[in-house]
Amino acid sequence: MNRPELRDYTSAEASGPLELELPVVRVIRPVKRRVRLRHLPRDGPVIRVLAARDFKVKYKQSVLGPLWLVFQPLALLAAFFVAFRNLADVQPGIPYSVFALVGLSVWAFFQASMIIGASSLISNSMLVRFTPCPRFAFPTAAILASLPTWAVTTLAAGVVAAATGTLSPRALLWPLGLVWLFMLTWGVAALAASFSVRYRDILAAMPFLLQVGVFLAPIGYPLNQLGGAAQRLVELNPLTGLVEACRWMMVSGYHVSPRVICFSLATTAIIALAGWRVFTRLETTMADNI
Amino acid sequence: MSAGRENGARPVAVSARSLSKRYRLGEHRSLQQTVNVVLRRPGATTPPSLDALVDVNFTVNRGEAFGLVGTNGSGKSTLLQILAGTTLPTGGEMEVHGRVLPLLAVGAGFHGELTGAENVTLFGSSLGIPREVIAQRMDAVSSFAELERHMDTPVKRFSSGMLSRLSFAIAMQFPADVYVFDEVLAVVDGEFQGRCIDEIKRLHREGRTVVFVSHSLDQVSQVCDRVIWLERGRVERDGSSDQVLDAYEWRHHSPET
Repeated sequence: MNRPELRDYTSAEASGPLELELPVVRVIRPVKRRVRLRHLPRDGPVIRVLAARDFKVKYKQSVLGPLWLVFQPLALLAAFFVAFRNLADVQPGIPYSVFALVGLSVWAFFQASMIIGASSLISNSMLVRFTPCPRFAFPTAAILASLPTWAVTTLAAGVVAAATGTLSPRALLWPLGLVWLFMLTWGVAALAASFSVRYRDILAAMPFLLQVGVFLAPIGYPLNQLGGAAQRLVELNPLTGLVEACRWMMVSGYHVSPRVICFSLATTAIIALAGWRVFTRLETTMADNI
Repeated sequence: MSAGRENGARPVAVSARSLSKRYRLGEHRSLQQTVNVVLRRPGATTPPSLDALVDVNFTVNRGEAFGLVGTNGSGKSTLLQILAGTTLPTGGEMEVHGRVLPLLAVGAGFHGELTGAENVTLFGSSLGIPREVIAQRMDAVSSFAELERHMDTPVKRFSSGMLSRLSFAIAMQFPADVYVFDEVLAVVDGEFQGRCIDEIKRLHREGRTVVFVSHSLDQVSQVCDRVIWLERGRVERDGSSDQVLDAYEWRHHSPET
C-alpha cells in the first residue's frame, strides 16, 4: 500500500453538501517537512480568499479607500523630485519621471508586501494555532494583496513613458519582470515571516529596514552616478538588478550592465530557495512557537 | 498496514499509535544562552521539557462519538491539535481517514474587519472546502446561527455569543468526516448549548465521527458513547462512556455541572 500523503484530504471533492466523502487517509507523524511544492495548486482557493481579505482590510473604514494606492507612490514621487532631481540634480539620461516611476513600481510593491508579509503569521496567529489552514498561504496572500499597488504604479510609468515618447517595445516583457519581482519578494517575506514567529525583532526592524532600503537601491537615483565603493555596495542589493531590468524593459535607450542583472537574478534564486526551505522547515512548529 | 480496517468490519476513522508530544518549556533561548550552548560553556543548560502526550494508543471507528476527559494539562488539547493538523507529534503516528473539521477555539480565525459572510468563506476555505460548497451552505450557516440579519456586519461588532454561534454554525453545516470540538460549549447560553448538543447528536446519527472534549461530564455522557480518560499525557482508561466517566468522577469527585 502506498503511503498516504499528509493533508491530501482536501483534494477529495465534496460530492454534495452533507454527503459523506470518500475518506482519504493521511498519516501524521514527526517529519521535518510536510509541505511539498506539488501541494501548492491545491492551496490556490484559500490563498485567493486570504489575499482578497488582506486587500479589503487595508482600506476598511477609510473614506478614500483604494485611492490611497495612487496617493502613496505619488507622494514618494514628489519627494524624489525634490530630493534627487532638484537638490542632487541627478541625470538618468531618460526623463526623470519615467525613471522614478519604474523604480517606484518595484519599490512600492516590495514595501507593501513586506509590511503585511513579514507579520502575516503573527497577525493570523489564531488561524495558525487553531486551524489547518496552510501556512504557506499567509505570506503569499500578503504579496498578492499588494499587486494592485504594483499595477497602478507600473501603469503610470507606462503612460508617462508613452507620453514622453520613450516607451520601449520591450515593455511586452513585463510579465517576466513581475515573476522576478514576485519570486524575490516572496523569498524575503517568507524568511522574515518564518523567523518572526520566534524572533519578534524582525517586526521591530522592518519599518527601519524599509526606510533605509529605498536609499540602498537605485529607486530614485541612477546607479552609475554613485561610483566607487557606494556603487559596489548598492549592486549587492538584489533589488538593484531587478529595478534596472524593469527600466530596460520599459524605456527605450536605457542601458544596463548585464553583470548587475545576472548577479541579481542569481541572488533572487538563492533567496527564493532559502525562503522556501526555511519556511517549510519551520512550518511544522509554527503553531507551538507563535 | 491494515487498510483502515481494524476491529473486524468497522472502518477506522482515527487511530493513534504510540503518539507522543514533547514541548520545550519556557521562553526561547536568548542569544547569550545559545552562545553558551554552542561553545559548551559551563552553565549551559538544556531547557526543561514537558511531555504533553506519552505513548498514547487508541482507535476511533467511523461513526463513533468519542469523548476525551482529563484535568487541565492532561494533553486533551494537544491531541486535538495533532488531529486537526495544526501541530505535529514528536513521536508515534496518527492515522486520520477523511476530512477533519476542527473547532478548537470559538471565533478562531475570524477577522474583525470582515463581515460574517466573508468570515464564513475564509474559515471554510482555510479547511480546504470548495467555494461552491461554502456558497451553498451559507444560508444554512446563517439561519443555524440565527444571524441572518447580521451576515453583512463586520464581526468586530458581534457580541461574544454571536461569534460563538457563528463558529458553531460553520462547524455544524460544513461537510466533513470527523468533527472535533474542544471545550467550546462553555461560552454559549443554555438554549443554544442544547441545540448544539442536539446537532452534534444528529451528526453522530448520520454516521459522522465526532470527537468531543468538555469539562462538563454531563455533556460528554450526553454526546459520547465511548470515552478516553487522559491523565498527564497517558491513557488512564478507555471504554464505554458510562464506565470511564464513573471511574473519572470517582477519582476526581468533580461535581456535575
